[in-house]
Amino acid sequence: MNPVLETIDLKMVYHIGRVDVAALRGATLQVQSGEYVAIMGPSGCGKSTFLHIVGGMLKPTSGSVIIEGEDLTAMTDPQRTDLRRRKIGFVFQRFNLFPTLTAEGNLKLAERIYSGKSNQDGARRHGVLKLLGLEDKMHHKPLELSGGEQQRVAIARAVINRPAIILADEPTGNLDTENSDIVLNMMRQLNKEFGQTIIMITHNSEAAARADRVIEMRDGHVVRSTAPAEAFGGRP
Amino acid sequence: MDSLIAANISQRPLRTAISIIGVALGVILVTLFAGLARGMMRDAARRQSSVDAEVRFLPGGNVSLAGNPLMLREQYADAILHGVQPTAEDPDIEPKPPIPGVATTSAVGEYVQGSVAGIGFEMVDGLDYASFINTTHLSLVQGRGLGDGRSPDTAYEAIVDRYYAKSGKDLEGNPIRIGSKVTVLGHEFTVAGIYEPSVLARVKIPLYTMQQLLGGAENCTFVMVKCETPELADQVIEDLRRYYPGNHVIATSEIPALYSQGLAPVEIFLNVVIGLGLIISVLVILLAMYTTIIERTREIGILKSLGASKRFIVMTIEKEAALISGMGVALGFLIAILGKLWLEANTRLIIVLEPKWLVFAALIGVLGGIIGAVYPALRAANLDPVEAISYD
Repeated sequence: MNPVLETIDLKMVYHIGRVDVAALRGATLQVQSGEYVAIMGPSGCGKSTFLHIVGGMLKPTSGSVIIEGEDLTAMTDPQRTDLRRRKIGFVFQRFNLFPTLTAEGNLKLAERIYSGKSNQDGARRHGVLKLLGLEDKMHHKPLELSGGEQQRVAIARAVINRPAIILADEPTGNLDTENSDIVLNMMRQLNKEFGQTIIMITHNSEAAARADRVIEMRDGHVVRSTAPAEAFGGRP
Repeated sequence: MDSLIAANISQRPLRTAISIIGVALGVILVTLFAGLARGMMRDAARRQSSVDAEVRFLPGGNVSLAGNPLMLREQYADAILHGVQPTAEDPDIEPKPPIPGVATTSAVGEYVQGSVAGIGFEMVDGLDYASFINTTHLSLVQGRGLGDGRSPDTAYEAIVDRYYAKSGKDLEGNPIRIGSKVTVLGHEFTVAGIYEPSVLARVKIPLYTMQQLLGGAENCTFVMVKCETPELADQVIEDLRRYYPGNHVIATSEIPALYSQGLAPVEIFLNVVIGLGLIISVLVILLAMYTTIIERTREIGILKSLGASKRFIVMTIEKEAALISGMGVALGFLIAILGKLWLEANTRLIIVLEPKWLVFAALIGVLGGIIGAVYPALRAANLDPVEAISYD
């Protein structure tokens, strides 16, 4: 079975003035289709850089990123953007919704960027919003929604175009426990019911415990890949 | 609101309004100045060419309808009609025959003065009234005609056309009627008559008075020549050129074309106005969109994270600029139309809003906006996605 994502010896060096800072020092990882993977590690271990490279927002210094057979590192900037459009959905810690658009408007914009058309499948959009418990919030702007609701809209926006991978960067980092639980349950539901591949960065071991697999990064390397039970010794 | 462009525009209503007004300003500049130049020139040309006299005799040198007003000897009018013979006082003068085919002539002085209404300018004719009404049709609808201006009771009398009487005010701010006092050449004149149709200037005073006031004794600006039949005009012109070389002789029908030639300097001025309008539109949109891009850096990062191409981002910003510019053009047209109505109601200015210039003004507004948005749009499209999405 071909992995949906494969990174091979991924290295990333930032040039800050005269100083070179190695964020990734050879990160190698495989993620299978339909997997729900949590990436953990201390601050500065390269998690976010890894996520940005996998999402095509950054070009690595060396190594390969292969998504559904397409080598991201061999692509030009416009080609990476196109692959991101077709195969990646992002969920951020700060939600990153357009504040001037309604929940539905945010989804429509994502659809328009994906397809280039203004009028999309309204049934699909409403279905996603209903799945995420947002059917009565469609016409609300982000500032009229709670943090949990905003993050659910962000998740809806990420899945609306059926991406190959959802990349979630600390999706519960700005939420209280109750809303974190709701968001994590919904991500799990999306993974279970629709086979959605999810790669989630988190510092929260309770969040990581909901994943199929926990990847631990340290100093720019993938140092461990285990089941949550093994990672947390049965206690998240 | 589901449209990103509409939402962006409505998010900052004050800045949007200022941008729209900025674009509108350029449109108003182009529309009103072009309309004013065309309107005034066309009206003047129409009135100049609507006299019955088929031929106009002017002094030599450059033909300038707004130059030194009294440069031609008034006696040409008599010479053209009756010929010239040596006299005891002037035995050396070259004899010339009467020009065949000429029915009558009239010397006219013409002077451009600042408009009494305070905006623009207006022309004043100095007439030998008795000969003038033989060279062109003029009906007095009220009052009487002009005297010769040599007696104190006729020297400071004026006749005005119907439009002037209808649109103007006398010295006390009342509508103009017979007996009203108006200012002509800096002096107070009494309106003795109201005439139609509008030919030459709208205000006419005795030629003798104009000569006294302007210091051009026995001189005029041109001589109007009425032929026995219109078909004789070409022959009369030819004879006038032969017998009086060094002077200008033109057919009255050529006057509109002459005015068009006179528009050349106006065209340069209009081009400057167009350039200014374009620069204003470009700068307003450039500043507005540049500020917008800085404020929305994070949103541009979000667009990039969603996979928006550079083209998509550029087009989004350009569409926003085009929409603002379009609203600016609409507002500019509205204000220009209201301005035209107000000016025409309160002054004697005539503004013609030609479709060609309206299209020009619209293009300038919209193109200026699109050009002004190019740099901010490219800057946005080339932002680093990771830096942009982390922007606070």
